[in-house]
Amino acid sequence: MRGAAHCSGIGLRPQHHAEFLERRPALGWVEVHSENFFARGGMQRDILADVCTHYPLSLHGVGLSIGSTDPLDRTHLTELARLERDFNPILVSEHLAWGSVDGRYMNDLLPLPYTAEALRHMAARVGQVQDFLGRQILIENVSSYLQFNGSEMAEWEFLATLASECGCAILLDVNNLYVNAVNHDFDPHGYLNSLPPLAVQEIHLAGHSVERFGTRELLIDTHAAPVCSAVWELYGAALERFGPVYTLIEWDAQLPALDVLVAEARKIEQALRVCRADAA
Amino acid sequence: MPTLRELQRSFAAAVFADDGEPLNADVRACGVDARARLGIYRRQLHATFARTLALEFPVIERLVGAEYFQRLSSEFQAVHPSRSGNLHHIGAPFAAFLKQRFRGGPYDYFADVAELEWTIEECSIAPEAPAFDLHALRSVAPARYADLHFEFHPACRLMSSAYPLLDIWRANQSDCTAEKIIDLGSGATRVLVQRSSKAVEFHALSPAEFAFLEKLWQGCCLGTALEAAHGIDAAFDLGAALRRCVALHALTAARLTRTSSNDAA
Repeated sequence: MRGAAHCSGIGLRPQHHAEFLERRPALGWVEVHSENFFARGGMQRDILADVCTHYPLSLHGVGLSIGSTDPLDRTHLTELARLERDFNPILVSEHLAWGSVDGRYMNDLLPLPYTAEALRHMAARVGQVQDFLGRQILIENVSSYLQFNGSEMAEWEFLATLASECGCAILLDVNNLYVNAVNHDFDPHGYLNSLPPLAVQEIHLAGHSVERFGTRELLIDTHAAPVCSAVWELYGAALERFGPVYTLIEWDAQLPALDVLVAEARKIEQALRVCRADAA
Repeated sequence: MPTLRELQRSFAAAVFADDGEPLNADVRACGVDARARLGIYRRQLHATFARTLALEFPVIERLVGAEYFQRLSSEFQAVHPSRSGNLHHIGAPFAAFLKQRFRGGPYDYFADVAELEWTIEECSIAPEAPAFDLHALRSVAPARYADLHFEFHPACRLMSSAYPLLDIWRANQSDCTAEKIIDLGSGATRVLVQRSSKAVEFHALSPAEFAFLEKLWQGCCLGTALEAAHGIDAAFDLGAALRRCVALHALTAARLTRTSSNDAA
């Protein structure tokens, strides 16, 4: 993983499946949303099997709602475990978030209050998932548009402590970090420097939009645009601290042509080359 | 500070019911008030749900238009919120919702179109199963054929409607640009929907074939199913019907019951 020859990848979405498999662009790996492949049969599973014969695979979950105070959904977890067993991914990830309560799902990645209670809860739940899957998972920082008054620590402190307490790795979404730094007025470099270097094993890059609320602007994590220059710069700083780790472009809405996505991934390779040259 | 559970319940109330009061005091304003911040999540809640529903029911979306579909989606979500982290499941009650919403009016057929689209979804993701070999029946004494029960392939469904569903479905595919007037009274639909290795296919059934398969689907024995088919068409050909089912991989297994062939219909 660290120092692997081809660390650049893309989030592979259903609209690109056929063209992707036909052209098989030179990429180090691909990531898919786990829930898109929970089906027991049919074309989607065949496609994933085909993808796996040509690329290392990462499973990225968006629906486990790990931070929820409802019991973990055993059906969901069982489906994830089956997928993990069938396709042997290099990475399995979820989010530092919750998305459901009292059985109602918002199917969103909602922010937690950064309290000692929430930290204990998350550490226990991530531990349960890792025990169930029999492997380490990665937990991704999420974009947020609000903070809770009752938070007792900063997001980076919460994430770093979570990783050390339950032994999970960190999936650092540099776009989410940038979005939150702007939305909540903190220094993103301080965030990077607070994370344990060896815990960060994957990086996501994506695009966002800007929305005005009266006199103030908030960044909205849309995954519908190219990665902005500020995020590329922050990615460079992340590579300096964490070394060359698996990195991918996420693009989910207003999906561009596959070529555009692959061209974005080429920029990752360029940044990784600079990182390796600096380290040499 | 409320507990984590209290906070999550307040958050859900704020985005589902637009009742942000219990949560507002717990959210830092910092230049944008709590209501506006929660509004971003409320918007995402409806947008994600509507986007998924549109992927599952593209024909309904095309029939009603994208704008009206958003309204329908919000109404539907209010009574049938997602109950899973896997959004795929949200479409299951949509046909029943449309049935109630448009019952008896000029758009009564929407519910049947939605049922067909959900049937396609279910067939698309159903597990694989071994094909049925008619030779397996060699071990069954002919006198007991009437007591046979059949199991259907998981990627197979039966569907009927008073409306010309397949015409409506085909005319509203994204690659179909020709305007076509469809007479809703132009004929009923009886179809076997089946996923092959590459795609979901439709196989039109005669009234007798449909009655025959419907009985088998309900768990009735072959004798009862044959009786239902003969009630519609005295010339119904059992052998041909079974061979067609096997060729389409609609059946996976047969078993004998100990009782007589007179199932409760």
